[in-house]
Formats: sequence, structure tokens, C-alpha cells
Amino acid sequence: MIEFRNVSKQYSPDAMALRDVSFTVEKGELVFLAGPSGAGKSTLLKMIAAMERPSAGHVIVNGQDIAKIKPSAVPFLRRNLGLIFQQQRLLTDRNILANVMMPLLVTGASRHQAELRARAALDKVGLLDRADSQPLALSGGEQQRVSIARAIVNRPQVILADEPTANLDRASANKVLDALKAFHSVGVTCLISSHDEQMLDAAARVIHLNHGQLEVAA
Amino acid sequence: MTYWFRQHRYALAAALVHLRRSPGGFLFNILVVAIALALPFTGVTLLDNVRPMSEQLSVDPEISVFLKQETPREQAEGLAVLLRQTVKDKQAKIVFTPREKALDQLKTKSGLADVLTTLGENPLPDSYVLKLDAFRNAQAGGDVDQLAEEIRALPGVDTVQVDSAWVKRLAALINVLRLALLLLAATLGTVVIAVIFNTIRLQVMTQREEILVSKLIGATDSFIHRPFYYTGALLGLCAGGLALGAVTLALRPLNTAIAEFARLYASEFQLAPLPPLAMAGLLALSAGLGLIGALLSVQRHLSKLN
Repeated sequence: MIEFRNVSKQYSPDAMALRDVSFTVEKGELVFLAGPSGAGKSTLLKMIAAMERPSAGHVIVNGQDIAKIKPSAVPFLRRNLGLIFQQQRLLTDRNILANVMMPLLVTGASRHQAELRARAALDKVGLLDRADSQPLALSGGEQQRVSIARAIVNRPQVILADEPTANLDRASANKVLDALKAFHSVGVTCLISSHDEQMLDAAARVIHLNHGQLEVAA
Repeated sequence: MTYWFRQHRYALAAALVHLRRSPGGFLFNILVVAIALALPFTGVTLLDNVRPMSEQLSVDPEISVFLKQETPREQAEGLAVLLRQTVKDKQAKIVFTPREKALDQLKTKSGLADVLTTLGENPLPDSYVLKLDAFRNAQAGGDVDQLAEEIRALPGVDTVQVDSAWVKRLAALINVLRLALLLLAATLGTVVIAVIFNTIRLQVMTQREEILVSKLIGATDSFIHRPFYYTGALLGLCAGGLALGAVTLALRPLNTAIAEFARLYASEFQLAPLPPLAMAGLLALSAGLGLIGALLSVQRHLSKLN
């Protein structure tokens, strides 16, 4: 499903984000990316979403080589990915229902259908009763769960989460993690970057990065 | 089709939502663009009113042919055949006016009957008037001059008077006005595009986060660009409507002043608003200018976000 083949990413001559990274994530796997800040975790996730292109090597996502993908094909690649960011990136000029409806509306779904599915997604993360709230009225943990609802509303094949629990307290972090595990349990491939030790302890597979190099690809 | 229609409806709704969020700014922009459009729209309205008048004046240019006093009546009447041959295939109405009839007309129309009676002898010559259908447009003025030269050479002809000079002058004046209006419209059209370009630039900056999030969740470029196109077109359309409304309203006081002036010349000339089709054309043009401004701005500023 996701394959990194000798991937390197160099932003400038003295800024090497990834060095010769190779690993594979199979369909339905739950994989954690671990490593200190600056290890290259975010760069790696960005490459899968075609937000960055490799300087060398190949990143294959659903059979498509990110290095060769046409710009016009990128939106359609991303529709099969659910992206979750450390900063939730919710739009504050609309309520959370409208935020969650967005991925459906961009694919051409009707407003009615988008609303039904958005409400279902909010229900899955336990926030249906806050559908009409503004994002800023929610706690950090709730906002992150809204961003999870937005990521899964389009029924993606892969969820990419970049430090989704970084700014949350333990209780909120657990709720976020539980939500992600719930989606993994129904067959969604999840790739989650984190330096949360407790989260990593419970993980079946962890890929360790340090200074852009793969340390352990368990 | 449903998908296409839904996407456009979404884009239009998104554009309206963003305009509603800053109605003051939108109205101000409409006002600025409307002011820029009002001037060429006024020019178009004036030209549209003057054009039928000028067309009416320029039709049927006439050549008046005055014969020598001593020309016998038979020769004078026979000249009609020569004139017909000179005019050749050109459609022309040739009217012979005997000197007696001309004198009668002069007495009737000039109010100088007493003075003319005291002259004793009729000073007027026999004459022909050629109304040339083939020279309806002013550009044919040169041909009229050439024809007049040929008539001048006919036997018994004393004077040939061509009245195409003023037609040419009027046509030239209208052409100058038309060109000036075109240049003015081009300049102000550029101003309109620049204003809308800047408005859309500011919108792109304001909606930067929304654009970036949309890209990350799989929105295509056309999906992101479309609301801005609608915003530009709406801005142009509203400004065009306002400008047309202002010009139409301004005709009322203007017509009051014109009516007094025209009365002095026994005329009932009034400026009329543009016909609905022309108004629709100008509205479409305004919306088109808005769209061009938005297109240029989106291409320039959204490409930077990529």
C-alpha cells in the first residue's frame, strides 16, 4: 500500500531531512513513526500526501509513484488519504459540521449527503452533539477529534496523523488514540507519527527515525 | 451534468457567503468599479442616441445641377437622359425643377414674394436634383465628388453643388468620437480589471488557510479557483448594473435641459436609455471584465500557494 524505496529528501545542501529510507506498510496496518523532533517524521508523512517530493528514491502510494505524479492527479490521491495534523487546521469561520463536510463537498457530493455523512463521522468520534459549535469553543482534544472526523468522513484507505496527541492531556490523547484504533480495526491503514512513549509502548509496529535515517523498521 | 451544476452552485454560494461577510468592502468596490464604468457607458448611450440622427442625415446625398440661364427648355429637359447615363448603374432619383417652379417655391418658402415680384425677370435657372441612393454611406463621399465632376462637363451645365462635404465631416466627427470612446473604454476597462484583480488578491490572502486546507483534503484547482471567478464576475455585474442605472437616471435632468435647447430648433430630440439588448450586452461585458480580473489574480496569487 505504501512503499519507501531508498528515499532521500534534501531541502538544501546542509539540510538533509531523510537519508536512504526504505520500508513498506501493508494494507490495514497500524504503524507508528517514532523519533525526536527533526528526525524527519513530518517530511515522511508529507511525501505520502504528495506535499513534498523525494530528492531521490521512490515513494509508492496505492501504486502511484509520488516522484512522478502529475499535479492534476494529486487531489485525487489525497481523497484516499485522511490527514490529521498536530495543529488541527479547522476553519474558524464555520461550525464543526461544515468543517467535516468539506472533504465531501470538494468531491462533488450533495450538501444533503455530505451533512448526513459528516454527522455520522462526528458521531463516531463522540462529538455529534457539538455539530453546531464553533471550533474555538471546543477543547484541544475535541478539536483533534473533529479533525479525525474530517479525515475519515471520505472513507479513506489510509490515515496519516502527524503528532495528533502532541498538545493534549493524557485523557484527551487516549480518546484520540482510541478513535484512530477504531478506524484501524475496520481495515483502515494508519500511519501515526508520535514521540508519546505510552502510545508507542502499545504499538504493534514502530518505525524509528533519527536524523533522517531509519533506525528500526520493525 | 448534475455534478457540474452542483460544483458551480457550490462555488456561487461560496462566493456569496464571502461577499456577505464583508458587505462594506464589497459595496465600496462596486462603487469604484461603477464609477469607472459609468463614463464609457455614458459615451455609449450618447453615441447610440446620435447615431440614428447622423444616419438619417447622411442618407440620400444630393447633387444640385444648375443650368445656364440661356439653355433652351428642350435641351434642359433632354439633359435628364445624359444625367441618367452619367450616373450609370447607380440608383438615383433625378428631379427636374423648371425655373418657374423654383421661383414659386422661393416665393412661398422665403417670404420674399414682394421683393421677387419687383425683380420683374426670373433670376433662377432650370435645375436638376439628383438623390443618390447608392451613396447612403458617408464613405462614398469621394464617389459623389467624382460624379459631380463628370456632370459639370455636360453641355448646358453652369454650376454643380455637392452636399456630401458636410456628410463627410459629420461621419469623420462621429468616427473620432467613436475612437475616443473606444480608447476611453479600453483605459477604464483596464482600471476595472486592476481593481478586481486587487480585490481578489485580498480575498486570496484572507482565505489562505481555507485554500490550503481545501488542497490537503483533495480539492482540485478548479474547485478552489471557481468561487473567486464568481466573485469577480459578480462584482463586475453589480458595478455594471449600478453604472447603467446611474446613466439612465442622469438622462432625466439632461433631457430637461436638452428639451429647452431643442425647442429653439423646432426639434423634439431627447436622449433615450439604451435598448434592453444593448444594456444586457454591457452587463455581460462588465461581468466579463470582472472575470478577467479574477482570472489574472487567481492565476498569479494561487500559484504562489502551490
